[in-house]
Amino acid sequence: MENLDGDKHTKMGPVDSGKRVPFSIKTKKRKKPTKMEQKEYKGIYLFLLPAIIVFLLFNFLPILTIIYTSFTSWDGFNPPSFVGLQNFVNLINEGSFLISVKNLIYWSFLAGIVHVGFGVLIAFILYEKPFGWKFTRSVFMIPNVISAAAWALIFRFIFDNDMGIINSTIRMVFPNFNIQWLSQSPYAFWTVTLTWLFFAVIVTLIVYNELLSIPDELIEAAEMDGAKKWDVITKIQLPMTRKSIGTSVIASITARVAMYEQIALTTNGGPGDDTMNLPIMLVNSINNMNYGYANAIGFVMIIFGILTLVGINKLFRMNEKL
Amino acid sequence: MDTVKKVIPKTLMYFILIFTILISIFPVLWVIFSSFKTNAQILSSPFALPESINFDAYRFVFENYNFGLYMMNSLIVSVVSTVISIIIYSMAGYVFAKYDFPLKNTLYALFIITLLVPAQSRAQPIFTLLINMGINNTLTGLTFVYISLGMAMSLFILRNSFASIPDSLNEAASIEGATFIQKFWKINFPLAKNGVVTASILMFLTNWNEYFFASLLTTSESVRTLPVALQFFNETFAFNYTRLFAALTVIILPGILIYSIAQERVQKSFATSGVKG
Repeated sequence: MENLDGDKHTKMGPVDSGKRVPFSIKTKKRKKPTKMEQKEYKGIYLFLLPAIIVFLLFNFLPILTIIYTSFTSWDGFNPPSFVGLQNFVNLINEGSFLISVKNLIYWSFLAGIVHVGFGVLIAFILYEKPFGWKFTRSVFMIPNVISAAAWALIFRFIFDNDMGIINSTIRMVFPNFNIQWLSQSPYAFWTVTLTWLFFAVIVTLIVYNELLSIPDELIEAAEMDGAKKWDVITKIQLPMTRKSIGTSVIASITARVAMYEQIALTTNGGPGDDTMNLPIMLVNSINNMNYGYANAIGFVMIIFGILTLVGINKLFRMNEKL
Repeated sequence: MDTVKKVIPKTLMYFILIFTILISIFPVLWVIFSSFKTNAQILSSPFALPESINFDAYRFVFENYNFGLYMMNSLIVSVVSTVISIIIYSMAGYVFAKYDFPLKNTLYALFIITLLVPAQSRAQPIFTLLINMGINNTLTGLTFVYISLGMAMSLFILRNSFASIPDSLNEAASIEGATFIQKFWKINFPLAKNGVVTASILMFLTNWNEYFFASLLTTSESVRTLPVALQFFNETFAFNYTRLFAALTVIILPGILIYSIAQERVQKSFATSGVKG
């Protein structure tokens, strides 16, 4: 990727040049292995061995276990006994699960539209290089280098009724103001949402780098033809950053599927089941030694992830050129 | 009319920038400043700067709450898992970048595709695996899990880094009679420095901050890491907000420090991590 504006901060090394979508796995076609290379097969497999072991133990076997035991009743001590679809039937009949799925769908839309939208907006603003753009880019990253657990706790304190800065500020004007943001319906859902909604720096960085890779000549030519700023954005820049926006949508929705700290350390699914989600249910099932059930939830998470990937890929036509 | 048209978007733009700066910086500053205030000041003047800087609250949490132990645990797990990951995924990444062998593409695809499976969904099998290996509730077990969590990302970064090194170096070295390991360690690994540093920062920060598996896989206090210690804060520091904020500051500071030292690299590594989808 050429660095078009001469800004060294955005210069990207070999890591992401032309490989922003790791799922299109392209390995350089090489000529037939030389004799020298063939002699080295022993070394090759020796070098791969640790990674293969980690893959088998922590990825491959667990996934097989999830799929198999999600059709069983299992407490971890006795061997799993096959129960067919019983776990999934129980899931559908459980109120918490339905709310979890509903929350996931709400959060996915908020992530795909508001979260990614805000990240893209900031990327386009940074591209204009207004006063203070570098500073903004620097500090926007801070929430992401902090532990998600600590960030969740910080938000819990900010919205705390006694010590929280939100309510202290409101009370300066309305002395009798009292809202328990994290334990009152319907505020809890939205307060939990606020812990991540606008913190979209990764989206910004991905889209910003893609913006820089659009050739200047293209935009200049369009402007010569009388294109307005708005036309440049909607007809050139947005379509050309389509893939990185799509990637961002997938990444943000996947993050919602796996969201745990933001809930476990603020509401733990409450009040009632207002902020319940799949990871919280999964951990509860593990703690109740209900392993078959836990893995059925894991299975649902995996399926939701795959559906998102395929759906967004189609929606943003990510496999097509331009 | 024309100037109005220009002024409105400009104003809006700066409004959004200021909003972004505020939401990113304010929560952190509030925590740090509050750790130097008294309870009363935190409650009555939330926006004021602290009147004086004293580290009593910090001394207190370290002297009375095993905070040093949690910090050591976090440090050991993060550093060891990062170092081991870098070694084994550099080896694998190097081979993927420089050699052809049967099943190469299938294997690489399998490794990378693990990104698609949310780590949380694998919680139960991993939990049981550690119990069977006899390393549940140990730092060793947690280290293994962190090594596995970083696999796809590190491999992706490192493979690309090795791939950018010219093949001619290896060819020349082979003629000179260098062994397989010499070519990797003496020639390629030092040249892949950029990828190694990027992957290390990403791994270290992720593992230092990790909460989900740490809270699930460690139960005793002797192996507790800092993020997990967070969940006990409310009980431990009940209504002593100053100490609460001091403890919180200790946890968030390393990430911020590493970031301020290696800003560009952290941005780059996190941008890559977002690509993982």
